[in-house]
Amino acid sequence: MVGGTRREELEALKLEVNSFLTSVERYNSNNLPKFEKYVQLQVSENMYDLEANLAILKLYQFFPNLYKPEIVCWILLKSLTNLPNTDFVLCRCLLGAGQLDDLNIARIAYLANLLELCQFKRFWQEKAQDANLISQITGFDDAVRKFVCHVVNITYQSMDKTILKELLGGITDADLRSWIAKNGWKEEPNNMIYISNQDEHVKTKNISEKITFETVSVVM
Amino acid sequence: MAYRRDSYRKDSYTRADSYRDGRIYDDEEYGGYPGHADQSKTLQYSDFGNKDDFYDPRGTSTQSYSFPDAVAKFIIHLYQSINNRDVSEIENLYEIRFPQLTRDYFKEEKWPQDITHLVDDPLFTTLYRELYFRHIYATMSNSLTFSDRCNSYSNYCELFNMILTSPEPIDLTLTNQWLWEIIDEFVYQFQSFSQFRRSPRLNAEESQYFKEHTYIWSVLSVLNVLYSLIEKSNINQQLRAYFNGENAETVAGDFGKSPLYKMLGYFSLIALLRVHSMLGDYHLAVKVLENIDLHKNTMYCNVPACQITTYYYVGFAYVMMRRYADAIRTYTNALLYIQRMRQMFQAKSYQNDQVNKQTDQMYTMLAICLVLHPQSIDESINSVLQDRKYADKISKMQQGDMKEFENCFTFACPKFLSPVPPAIDASPDPSQEPLQIQKSIFMEEVAQQIYLPTIRSFLKLYTTMPVSKLAAFMELDHNTLMECLLCFKHKMHNIVWSKGVSSLDGDFMAGSEVDFYIDKDMVHIADTKVGRRYGDYFIRHIHLMDELHRALKGLKF
Repeated sequence: MVGGTRREELEALKLEVNSFLTSVERYNSNNLPKFEKYVQLQVSENMYDLEANLAILKLYQFFPNLYKPEIVCWILLKSLTNLPNTDFVLCRCLLGAGQLDDLNIARIAYLANLLELCQFKRFWQEKAQDANLISQITGFDDAVRKFVCHVVNITYQSMDKTILKELLGGITDADLRSWIAKNGWKEEPNNMIYISNQDEHVKTKNISEKITFETVSVVM
Repeated sequence: MAYRRDSYRKDSYTRADSYRDGRIYDDEEYGGYPGHADQSKTLQYSDFGNKDDFYDPRGTSTQSYSFPDAVAKFIIHLYQSINNRDVSEIENLYEIRFPQLTRDYFKEEKWPQDITHLVDDPLFTTLYRELYFRHIYATMSNSLTFSDRCNSYSNYCELFNMILTSPEPIDLTLTNQWLWEIIDEFVYQFQSFSQFRRSPRLNAEESQYFKEHTYIWSVLSVLNVLYSLIEKSNINQQLRAYFNGENAETVAGDFGKSPLYKMLGYFSLIALLRVHSMLGDYHLAVKVLENIDLHKNTMYCNVPACQITTYYYVGFAYVMMRRYADAIRTYTNALLYIQRMRQMFQAKSYQNDQVNKQTDQMYTMLAICLVLHPQSIDESINSVLQDRKYADKISKMQQGDMKEFENCFTFACPKFLSPVPPAIDASPDPSQEPLQIQKSIFMEEVAQQIYLPTIRSFLKLYTTMPVSKLAAFMELDHNTLMECLLCFKHKMHNIVWSKGVSSLDGDFMAGSEVDFYIDKDMVHIADTKVGRRYGDYFIRHIHLMDELHRALKGLKF
């Protein structure tokens, strides 16, 4: 079983990398090959470790001669799989001026911008052109769909089914049904999908004044 | 007459040379630079350079020994107070007398460099030289030379070597303020050097010298000092025990029990927060503090400058992580703290300037946050923001003036630095590059949110409205508006700290004042209504009446 050993390798590497992260070893460039291998496994095994990835970017910052653009692309793409968290920004803040000009990195930044703007329809169109770059990342599309679901979940009480399908990247009815099940949504008549009861979360707040005893005691 | 303190003979601490083989951050080794590749890499407290590395050996110094009596007296007095562990006298000499003498005698010139004819004690001389260089950096930055920078670095190495390589805790009592300023200055000079290294002012000889001595002010040696101090003091273990209400002494170890090591360890954590922030590593910056509970009002250290620095950098890291609610809370806490402590700073003018600058920066950052993420905040802080100085900026930013966002950010952000010399094909002024990068990332975030204030202003007018009506107001087509609405929800839904010691913890929440949801084609809006505040008004008038009453009573008819 090849998959099983890969997974074991990942677990072992994870332990080792974590031990680097808790000490000054995180700044030791001799550990870079291990860190880089770890990224590779994150990419193929659909697993994610922000802290390790930031440590790699930091090592590249300290030792620009060891910089590997393809690893950085992977890290940046992986960071997009953890939206709505702001991991992409955190990663990018560690890159240098020349590195941001790299064509692939600029392209990833463009896609990230579309996601941040929630222009999902456009994102799916544009993404199709970057198959080479992205197809290496196992589970990338579903990770983005998870983010879309998050935004839908906080925005809608009920919405049009066609629009939802479009936001999720023009998926089939069968796929849509599995996303509906995963999120606990409900199909309703008239082509509508019931998302959740938003009245509970989105409520008008009233902030009334609270006067503490300390403030009044001065004048008592 | 020279004083000598027996316990600090030169042989009582291990010289750096003997640790050469065990250094962690040998730059030649880890930096991929040629040479010295035969050295082993065992983890140990390493040397951070040694005396031979002084750029301009002390022997060539031409400084004369004649200086004012008062200055000589001060130096000897300071030495004696430190020997006697007389904390209040040390505080007086360090915080009051030293700035006083500086004003009287050294406004335009350096403090005497060589004091060995007065005090013959390597530890004291090193401490004194730290003050000497700090004074040059602070008041004579124009005449600050390359050799000053290198020598100051070597001096720090000597100082930290004495502290870190001693087999048992060294017996030295300084005030917390002093210890904080040593660490703070160490980081400042590192930052200053990093910028200097990228400036076009470096001449050929200096560049050459620097190429041969890459470890001078290298980021790894600075990090090494800070990590070593943290490890030596067991400060993380102590803090964990402290915030769990346990006895920290049991985990402190021999070094950690000594206030000197403990506080140096604590201040090193804050220094790491700062260094990581300056490098753009906001996640690690905040993570370093994971054992410090910033939300409890328990004060672990009594140095206001340290407290304010902590809040300032944590707040900034939150802004970059788009955790506006947390940033607003952090800045508000800091600014309230400064309001309470005002009086204390005014007594010590040299601390005042620094605090004023940081206060101004924090109000500006807070203004940015409140424009992006409107929410109600403490009245007394809010009233300062309504002052013209900030109100103009706020209203410009609210109208989407990108230039104003940029100006405010540039003014209020920390100094950013790059840990390496500029690339050969770098821009004409590579010292500005790090700032440009962080600024452009922040501005991109602002640009992504540029529609939100307009949407918010329309939403505020209604409790429900059809999507089509909002689209007409916004002059956007239906699809574009829907994307903007999704973006609004996404950007206003961020991680907010609610419990736990680490400031990185938190859950996704929508904390801004206007919120909404969409049901089919209808937008349902939830606003925040702030009730009128009467308490303040009445209390103020009760005071006024009281005063009037007393004044009337005092009158004789």
